[in-house]
Amino acid sequence: MMEKPKKTQEEEQSPPQIAAPDGGWGWVVVGSLFFSSALVFGLIRSLGVFFVEFVQYFGESAQAVSWITSIGLAMQQLLSPIAAAASNVFGTRPVVMLGGFLSGLGFILASQATSLLHLYLTMGLISGIGWALIFTPTVASVMQYFAVRRSLAMGLGFTGIGLSSFAFSPLFQYLVEAYAWRGALLVLGGLSFNMIACGAVIRPLGKPNVVLKTENSSKLNKCSSLLSRIYEGFELSLLSHRGFLTYSIALTFFNAGYFIPYVHLVAHSHHIGFTEYQAAAVISVTGVVDILGRVASGWFSDLGKMRMPHMLVVWTGLLGLSLMLIPAAVVYSGLIVVSLMYGFCAGAMTPLAFAVVPEIVGMERMLGALGLLQLIESVGGLLGAPLSGWLKDHTGTYTVSFIAAGSFLVLGTLVTMTLPYFWSCMGPPPPSPPKRKSQDGSIEGGLLTQTLSSNSAPDTLCPLNDIPYSDKE
Amino acid sequence: MPRPRRAQHCCRETALFSMANVRHLILLLLYCDGMNTETTPSPPSDPVFTTRKAVSKGQNQVITEELAILTPQNIELLCNLTDIPNNPPNITGYWAKDGQEIENSEETVNRINEQYVLKKTFSIQARDLGNYSCIFRENKAQVTFVLDVPVIKDKRDKPVVSYTRDSVVLECKLKYTPNTWNWYKANNTEKELINVTANPLNYKIFNNGNRTKLTILNLSEEHSGKYICSAVFDIKPSESYIELKVLSYTEPLKPFIAIVVEVIVLVTLILLWEKCSKPQHDSSSAGENDVCSEQTTKLTRDESNGVENNTARRRKLDD
Repeated sequence: MMEKPKKTQEEEQSPPQIAAPDGGWGWVVVGSLFFSSALVFGLIRSLGVFFVEFVQYFGESAQAVSWITSIGLAMQQLLSPIAAAASNVFGTRPVVMLGGFLSGLGFILASQATSLLHLYLTMGLISGIGWALIFTPTVASVMQYFAVRRSLAMGLGFTGIGLSSFAFSPLFQYLVEAYAWRGALLVLGGLSFNMIACGAVIRPLGKPNVVLKTENSSKLNKCSSLLSRIYEGFELSLLSHRGFLTYSIALTFFNAGYFIPYVHLVAHSHHIGFTEYQAAAVISVTGVVDILGRVASGWFSDLGKMRMPHMLVVWTGLLGLSLMLIPAAVVYSGLIVVSLMYGFCAGAMTPLAFAVVPEIVGMERMLGALGLLQLIESVGGLLGAPLSGWLKDHTGTYTVSFIAAGSFLVLGTLVTMTLPYFWSCMGPPPPSPPKRKSQDGSIEGGLLTQTLSSNSAPDTLCPLNDIPYSDKE
Repeated sequence: MPRPRRAQHCCRETALFSMANVRHLILLLLYCDGMNTETTPSPPSDPVFTTRKAVSKGQNQVITEELAILTPQNIELLCNLTDIPNNPPNITGYWAKDGQEIENSEETVNRINEQYVLKKTFSIQARDLGNYSCIFRENKAQVTFVLDVPVIKDKRDKPVVSYTRDSVVLECKLKYTPNTWNWYKANNTEKELINVTANPLNYKIFNNGNRTKLTILNLSEEHSGKYICSAVFDIKPSESYIELKVLSYTEPLKPFIAIVVEVIVLVTLILLWEKCSKPQHDSSSAGENDVCSEQTTKLTRDESNGVENNTARRRKLDD
């Protein structure tokens, strides 16, 4: 089922537009995303158990210890473009496998640390590099494998984060009690090695972009070939793409507001007088609803009733609204309701935020786009939490912080509405024959894709055409 | 009469410091007053007794107050009972220590302003620490004062784990500052004092007021066991224990090796499975699935292109 259409597409158009299998092995890749996101972000979220131990063992302050996660996360986001470029050159499979190895190695070396600096370098730097090499390519692979059910696949893949947050905290606690933090880090390094297996599972759907491009065009000069490889690898041409720039600004705003409740909700609950257990219950409830939101949003978006950017705007708008309502919830039941809304919208937004990228920039540039996006949106993440903390210090309550977070999201929503082709019922048209020098079959390939996609457009009031590049079977 | 005596005793040490300053003196008196209310529940802590209304109906309720005793002293304990039905002119009450009635402690208390106040002064030495209760016979109302040295509260129920040749820090802390701290290692039923001067390479003790830290360097398996931190007060030392477990590095290595083996097996299986399913596709496709054959893919692709769809190929050639 997978092979024939893939071949037909490939031979009729030299630009590597490979039909997404939409099933079959694709679900195995979704499983790989599930485990990878669990072992990357679920792990990061549960590292708090270790911090208590580090503070006691090294005698450093909690703030100094929290830099470990900051460095790790920063590495993961900042190095995303490099991971994307490497995948463009070498293919996703070797990159992800290397990433799995590095992330495990970082933890194994960390178990031998004798100072906090060692932890920064091992758990922060090395593992952070590993995480960068894993996350973006895996996400891109899932998106390559799915066209119709892309959002659902993404949503299912990301549920790994939510479920692992539940499972890892008690597991880490047990490991620390049984083996002390050194032994626990060693075991976690081993667990991280499982991501090598996750990478092995990602069968390439075709040759990596840069390899194909350099094959297709004739290069005279070796030096310019290297430069153009770098240029293509990083997809730097995206920086002049209006849709991409708009979306990256929107994502930066989203990122600025998105994490603030995770950081401040518990403190806020304490602040207005709820007990520890009540606050913890709020967080748990939010987590569960988050998982539901991811899957539900993915499934609903794939039904095709609304265009993906429209759905994204709906969810982010609701999210911003719920954030602004949090300070207004003074009664416990009110806080639970608003947190439910927040959790659902936050989860619903995540798969769409990724799945909409191919629609904006096209499948072939998707990998590079993801890398660059992560880099640009990290600015939002870095600014958002300290800003809200500063606001809290100056005003005394979290009200202004939550309102600021909500307004960031609303701002992002407004920016999203300025995306090209946002206000049209149809999505962006299929790509014109590519600018690269390529074989003559390309024009036919472009035309063929157009006829194929228009034939398969569903007969609704607003014909959905968000994935014009692949053909539905 | 007892009042000045009590004030005198509990404030004796502190009074010496601040006689010079009148302001300090007033603060001092207030402080002493505060201390008094600490040891005796007096009318301000009536809320403790308003719940007694239920008790007077015949149920036994015990209200417990914990008092930390640092030095041998004389303490006056005061019980204040209110809201008794019938309001008799006087009632009888007695004192008990650790459940045993103290002889000749029974008193008849007269009603004053709707309250019945039963009080007694005790001289507390190390052997006198325990639970002191005032019990009113008529309605069985009871207040228990627990007199004890300050308790070291944060006990870990799980042992502290560390590794050979590593170091570990054991910590104890209290609300009050003792005269000094001592550390012991428990060998079955005996306690062995840890002497830092005799063993400066292995042990370090750092005392900081109400906390103490014992650092053990160069751990070995014999260091496993129970360690007792002892806070020495005038009246009696207060002790708590921490359990230490020293592991060798092979312990966490076992699950680690198991997981690494599992990963290697998984990866091998995955890659093998892919290679095994490749021959099926080889006849019809170029085997682009396999990353290993990327070099040969170009050649084989052209081949199989021709095999699959001759028209397309001819079209290309024609152009």
